[in-house]
Amino acid sequence: MRDLLTYLPGRMDDTLSSLHYFMPEIYLGILFLLVLITGLVYKRNTGGMCRLIAIAGMVFVLAQDAIQSYFPVNTTMPLFSRMLMLHHTGVLFKLVIDVIALLILLYFAWDRQLKAHRKGLADLYAITIASVFGLHLMVMAVNLLSIYLAIEFVSLASYLMVAYKSEQGLSAGAGLRYVLFGAAASGVMLYGISLLYGFSGSMDLFDPAFINGLSQVNTLSVSFALVLVFAGLGFKLSFIPMHFWVPDVYQGAATPVTAYLSTLPKIAAFALLINFITPFVFISRWNGFDFRLFLSVIGLITMIGGNFAAIMQQNVKRMLAYSSIGHTGFALMAIVSFSTEGISSLIFYLAVYAVANLGALILASYFANITGAENMEGYRGLGFKLPAASISFVVILISLTGLPVTAGFIGKVLVFQSVYNIYQQQPDVLLLLLLATGALTTVVSLFYYIKIPLYLFLRKSDNNREYVISSQVLMISAVVIAVFLVFIGLFPNYLTKFL
Amino acid sequence: MNILTLLIFTPILFALIIWVMPSAWRGSFKYLTLAATLVQLGIGVWIYLHFKTGVGFAGINQEGQYQFVQKLPWINLNLGGISRMQIDYFVGIDGISIAMVVMTSLVMVIAALSSWEIKSNLKGFFILFLILDMAVIGVFCALDFFLFYLFYELMLLPLYFLIGMWGGVRREYAAIKFFLYTLFGSVFMLLVMIGLYLSVKDPVTGNHTFNMVYMMNPANYIPGSVFAAISHYQLFGMSARVLGFIILFIAFAIKVPVVPLHTWLPDAHVEAPTPVSIILAGILLKIGGYGIIRICMGIFPDIATSGAFWLGLLGIISIIYGALNALAQRDLKRMIAYSSVSHMGFVLLGIASQTPEGISGAMMQMVSHGFLSAMLFFLVGVIYNRVHDRDIYNFRGLSELMPRYTVFVMIAFFASLGLPGFSAFIAEAFSLAGAFKSYTFNGLLPQWLSAFGVLGILLSAAYLLWTLQRMFFGKELLKGGETWKLALVDLNARETITLLPLALLTLALGVMPSLVLGKINDSVLALVDITKHIITP
Repeated sequence: MRDLLTYLPGRMDDTLSSLHYFMPEIYLGILFLLVLITGLVYKRNTGGMCRLIAIAGMVFVLAQDAIQSYFPVNTTMPLFSRMLMLHHTGVLFKLVIDVIALLILLYFAWDRQLKAHRKGLADLYAITIASVFGLHLMVMAVNLLSIYLAIEFVSLASYLMVAYKSEQGLSAGAGLRYVLFGAAASGVMLYGISLLYGFSGSMDLFDPAFINGLSQVNTLSVSFALVLVFAGLGFKLSFIPMHFWVPDVYQGAATPVTAYLSTLPKIAAFALLINFITPFVFISRWNGFDFRLFLSVIGLITMIGGNFAAIMQQNVKRMLAYSSIGHTGFALMAIVSFSTEGISSLIFYLAVYAVANLGALILASYFANITGAENMEGYRGLGFKLPAASISFVVILISLTGLPVTAGFIGKVLVFQSVYNIYQQQPDVLLLLLLATGALTTVVSLFYYIKIPLYLFLRKSDNNREYVISSQVLMISAVVIAVFLVFIGLFPNYLTKFL
Repeated sequence: MNILTLLIFTPILFALIIWVMPSAWRGSFKYLTLAATLVQLGIGVWIYLHFKTGVGFAGINQEGQYQFVQKLPWINLNLGGISRMQIDYFVGIDGISIAMVVMTSLVMVIAALSSWEIKSNLKGFFILFLILDMAVIGVFCALDFFLFYLFYELMLLPLYFLIGMWGGVRREYAAIKFFLYTLFGSVFMLLVMIGLYLSVKDPVTGNHTFNMVYMMNPANYIPGSVFAAISHYQLFGMSARVLGFIILFIAFAIKVPVVPLHTWLPDAHVEAPTPVSIILAGILLKIGGYGIIRICMGIFPDIATSGAFWLGLLGIISIIYGALNALAQRDLKRMIAYSSVSHMGFVLLGIASQTPEGISGAMMQMVSHGFLSAMLFFLVGVIYNRVHDRDIYNFRGLSELMPRYTVFVMIAFFASLGLPGFSAFIAEAFSLAGAFKSYTFNGLLPQWLSAFGVLGILLSAAYLLWTLQRMFFGKELLKGGETWKLALVDLNARETITLLPLALLTLALGVMPSLVLGKINDSVLALVDITKHIITP
């Protein structure tokens, strides 16, 4: 007890000084409580009130992120006795996450299915804010313990979100499936983590003892443990073979929730992946386990599998689910380059992907709201009835494919460029294979993305129904997103200057 | 304001005007489009007249010798790597581009005139048409590879919709096939482009650069980089430069198209509406040829020389295979589409010879075929619009029904089969002369190969004359009987005005080939010169 007393003031100081670097998260915590309490206190129109508070609060959180973005580029700041680590890349990830989260918070109430929910949306806002808190922790976690806690934090929130409109059978089934698989994946990951701890005697990834400990253990056992950890991470990243839950859950969940799932946890998981491999790859150059080989093979399989599976789909959300798997594979390519340039291009790519994917799902909502169409068949000839939305859809899909002149193309070029650059320094045929596959799957992805413009504009429909358009806000936001994508495609400097 | 920038972006300006106009004024869209293309033609002619010739204006690999240049810094990215990413808005023309630019602006006027047949969804059509117009002119003027690629890809989407929405019965299939084929070529081109970019340094700023002119100078390559000639880099067990050349060549060969990568062409040309067929055959195919000359030969002259035989062989295969296919067609439009494959083979043959005659012939063939294919597709459109049929066997004795039409058909056919006095004769004669000369000049092509080229001319005479005989001569006999007879009226004023300048031009170029050759000569000589002074590793 006496020993502990001498120890305590130092701990207190550490925690107190860490708080200064923890402002966005503190704001998120307060915001969560505010939204939760508002939901309980207000009886009538709680949804609208919570929405207002959540969105206004996110703006403050963003302001805090912006302050943090002045954090010097090449320094790291361990927080809370090395549980978390703040660094410039992490701040960028947090910025991207918060901007997308803000858009998704706006989007919730625009989806007709979700809005018609009996319970109202108050809880959903609280859950989302909490999950964003978890995402922030994921981005900064550098200790095996904090990694696991952060992932579970986000998982719990996502389970609730997926099952939110639980009266429909599909959503309930998807929710249950998601919970089961998620629990299994996190169990596997926990097993891997405990093995790693057992081997090294340390939880701290950046502790030299961690790598030293691992390097003295049989490589096969360490590799086994690492693969288990990657399996848990892969569940969030949705790379093949940990992707099996994606199509059903994306299709079954409410569309704004799909928008959340396909962007935010994925981005945070990439940030976490970077944190996790940094001590192995950047710092120690420990080569007991070939991270490049492992991630490249996963990336190759994911690109091919995701894109080819998407061709067969008729349901728009399901197709976007498979395509998002393909995008994971492509983004892994940027990780495999193991360079700061690669990580910058990864952030650009993910940010642009997230915005475009959000736009695509917003339009899926818009068409479903108006016509009830979930399948491409239902989009027949709509291009002439809803021209502005349809043209935006084409632009957004072109950006997802990665053709000029859209932001998606620039993202693709940047990723290719960073991988190529590394290839020139360390010739490795894997990198070439990745490049070639990335190019090839672009053609494949065009094949399924273009199906939507095909149905919208090329196929004529016989029905002359006049559709009642109650609200144009979804269409306007999609147009804004499309214009943004083209603008960044023409002048990427406006986005890259933040990197 | 730079005159080339004005030329490139004039169509977009008009597209914006059309976009903001209410649909009630849809009748005026075609006039606005015509006005846009006429303004473009005016600028094109002005550029042609003010284009300086002489050894000091050859262009190719000398940045200072390009004319009407505009170079603005555009994208400047720093991603934490060693150097910044430098992309310029860099346009300029030399002898190779000027011919293409002027030809394009004229063919665009023809395409706009033939758009009168479009009846549905006019706003969409003309906006897409004008975007396409901007993109093709941009491709011919861009000197920054990134910019080139942007324009190159920007053509695809408008064309997809133009074929897919206003095309014939199998338009969906044709549109997606075209899109996938071209994209397949161009995504791999993107990889080579990035590789070149990382291999080349701007000698002034020290940044990596997409500047195509710098890419043509071996001194700008970083030692040890993938595409540096002296580093003998191997990719997949193959020399990196050979692989890069092959990938770029395939991308452009799909556009030309070279057999066996041509299968998208008959579908796309046949299903597309007439104005789009005209643009496809008249201009888009030339982008392939232009790309091979400017990029494949300009940046990889060493590989172009060592692989010349294979290029020549592919050219000959295209000539013969295209002609044989044309001979077997019943559909008039399909026959003309295959004749395009055959005629574009001469372009490849001329390029492969790497002689001044051969390359001049290839350039001349591109210009001449631009006018002739526009004319041919327009002529098919005339008959198809009247009776919605174009099966060769369903018509007979048209010359009595439509005498003026028959005159133009005869001019187009005789010009195409290479009758002396018309442009195609000069073009094909030069290409073949170059191919024959190559045996003694640089030893690249064997003489038997060139001899097969002559066979191609013979075959083209066969299918064109046979068609002429089947459709236009003999006793009048129509599948549709009296209704067709009433529908098949002779050319109206608009159609005559469209065809007349084309006929006159092909005649003028046949009599005075110096109109083209005079402008391109210095650039062609410079191009031949760099292929002769390659570093032999």
